[in-house]
Amino acid sequence: MVRKIFRSPVMLIMPSILAIGFVIIIPLIFSFYTSFTSYKLTRPDSLFNFVGLRNYERLIDNAKFWYAFGRTILFLAVVLNLELLFGLGIALLINKITWGQRTLRTIMMFPMMFSPILVGFQWKYIFNDNIGLLNNFLYLFGYESAIPWLIDKYLAMGSIMVAEIWANTSIFAILLLAGLLGIPRDPVEAARVDGCNSWQVFKNITLPFLMPFIFIALTIRSLDVGRAYDIVHIMTGGGPAMRTELLWTMIARIGYKDANMGFANAMSYVSIILSIAFTYYFFTKLVAARRDLGQQ
Amino acid sequence: MKLFKSILTVISIFSLSFSAFAVDKSFPNDKVAMWGDFSGITLDVKLIGGAPYDPLYEVMIPIWEEKTGGKVSILSKKSHFELDKEIKQDIAAGNISYCVVSNHTSFATQYGDIYRDLNGIVPGDFLAEFVPLVLEHSTVDGRLVQLPQHSDVSNLWYIKSIYEDEDNKKRFKAEYGYDLAPPETLDQWKEQAIFWSDPPNFYGTQYVGKEEAITGRFYELVIAEGGALFDNEWRPTFNDEAGQRALQWFVDLYNAQAVPAGVLNYLWDETGLGFASGTVALNLDWGGWGAYFNSADSKIGGDVGLVRFPMGSGGKRGGWSGSHTYSILNGCPEENLEAAASLIWILTNHEAQMHEARGGKLPTMTRVWDDIAGEMNAEGNAFMSDLFSTFKASMAEDAFTPPLIPEWIPFSNIIFPELQAAIVGDKTVKEALDAAAKETDYLMQDAGYY
Repeated sequence: MVRKIFRSPVMLIMPSILAIGFVIIIPLIFSFYTSFTSYKLTRPDSLFNFVGLRNYERLIDNAKFWYAFGRTILFLAVVLNLELLFGLGIALLINKITWGQRTLRTIMMFPMMFSPILVGFQWKYIFNDNIGLLNNFLYLFGYESAIPWLIDKYLAMGSIMVAEIWANTSIFAILLLAGLLGIPRDPVEAARVDGCNSWQVFKNITLPFLMPFIFIALTIRSLDVGRAYDIVHIMTGGGPAMRTELLWTMIARIGYKDANMGFANAMSYVSIILSIAFTYYFFTKLVAARRDLGQQ
Repeated sequence: MKLFKSILTVISIFSLSFSAFAVDKSFPNDKVAMWGDFSGITLDVKLIGGAPYDPLYEVMIPIWEEKTGGKVSILSKKSHFELDKEIKQDIAAGNISYCVVSNHTSFATQYGDIYRDLNGIVPGDFLAEFVPLVLEHSTVDGRLVQLPQHSDVSNLWYIKSIYEDEDNKKRFKAEYGYDLAPPETLDQWKEQAIFWSDPPNFYGTQYVGKEEAITGRFYELVIAEGGALFDNEWRPTFNDEAGQRALQWFVDLYNAQAVPAGVLNYLWDETGLGFASGTVALNLDWGGWGAYFNSADSKIGGDVGLVRFPMGSGGKRGGWSGSHTYSILNGCPEENLEAAASLIWILTNHEAQMHEARGGKLPTMTRVWDDIAGEMNAEGNAFMSDLFSTFKASMAEDAFTPPLIPEWIPFSNIIFPELQAAIVGDKTVKEALDAAAKETDYLMQDAGYY
């Protein structure tokens, strides 16, 4: 048995196993363990105060958490769909360009180059009710009331969605453009010879070819958007009155400001269900799309 | 862009105004000197940063390094809310071996026993110079864990010219039945704010609208209305009638559009800049903005008045107060202890406090209150003289700290979203306060208060 462990194939993969163990597995086990304790950052001795399922039981009764959970799902659904639509549109337009495509591709990636914190500040001041660009622009056209973009029940979440979409639509555009560039020309030309119009070509040839790329982009972005924190934290901090509270702004406040890390970790593990669900759904769709294309 | 420019202006004004105040390197008015030969010692420190704080470090730390031979290594410098998070993470990671850290009387109780007792490290003669009540607020479980640099309490700033305008006086008297003068009660404040408002161009007043800032504002209004946050057994009582009156005051101003629509996203910079932009009539704020408000760089420079925090129906004024402080960590090596004490001495001594007070910050040393008033009188600076006499009265008669318990910040995180919910109309005042009281009850039970 011991000899088996020290066989060269095992020894060769051992560095990877150790690295994954230290970087991923041990922190996961540790944080999972703390979710069963009353661990507070400011009281390290509370790490050993085992409270069983108490944190999870409290979570089930915590309406604010479930509202944040629901709000995060809504945020994910709207942001992902709009990013997909805009990204697809941009990719299709850029794919048509024969001159300056590289320059446009680079320009298109600019929003991705900004840190989310900077994006948050930028949009916070665009949407500022008093000195913001948007309200002052509206005043030019005779609008006489300050619109509370970051306060109103619906506009606040909408404003954050705009910032998130502005910053990340180009991820969709880049991935879908890569997909468009890889589509074989033969079926498209054959369809045109057979009299298909542009919409029919797009619907029956381009889109099926793009579906694997779309689902890969959706999977990546669903994991990103599910963890949205920086932009929300800067623009509204989850407020006012928790109107824009998402899972991770809530978890960060409970974990770091209240120092209640045990409870925050319990929230995190329940929140992961959301990411797993979205990832599973998109992967299922990805496999189906590949199967439709005759790929494995 | 306008705000960006304003922020840059404020930063430059703060920096310029403070650097313009000369420091006498011989420290002639300091009765206690804590110099020493600290050659070869490097002190690791974490400090609160930002425009109001950096100028003192820029002046004092080079002097300390020059005179003692020691070095200061600033490991981190950030806002107090960010520093608070960092310290909590440091405690969890066991990374608390640096020496000096910025602290605050409202925050210090959260961090357990990571700080050294400064009694015995800092000479008694030096401690005797501080206002006794401020030192009492700096004490946790009988241990003096921090040395106060400056205190904060708020009073009401107003634009003078609008109160002196005869037409305004006539219109106000006709509408409200009493003479127009800066408000003396919370009701007058509300009425006048509504009277002045002409949104979106001009607002009657404003308030900081989120996090601990609005919790503190609510807290002082509860006291002014004759209520309390907790009873003697630490059970929440802020949802009683006094608490409801306090919260209703915020709600009424918001509903009347007497405050900017985005006020629930405002913190101190937004309110300070808003008042200096000349678009707000009445602004509750600390003294640290005073020199800037009245400067040529502010749109209301030379037109700024100041009155004490108006009284509530309980016959008391608001006076939520605290002090910015410095602490020495237990993890600071013994051989660096004397140098660490020397560093916090130079950041809190008479010369440092005079330097800060010239910009409007409130001293924590008894003698500095008199000396700064004398200096301003001698210069014929009536505005600053009035600032210090007003704030001195507040510190002596009105100031009170938040409950000095570790649960203050978690409590604040429970109550502030509920206050906001009532203000924006998602809940009634009673519903919001009852919900916050219920959750606070759990918090206090879990913490073992009852």
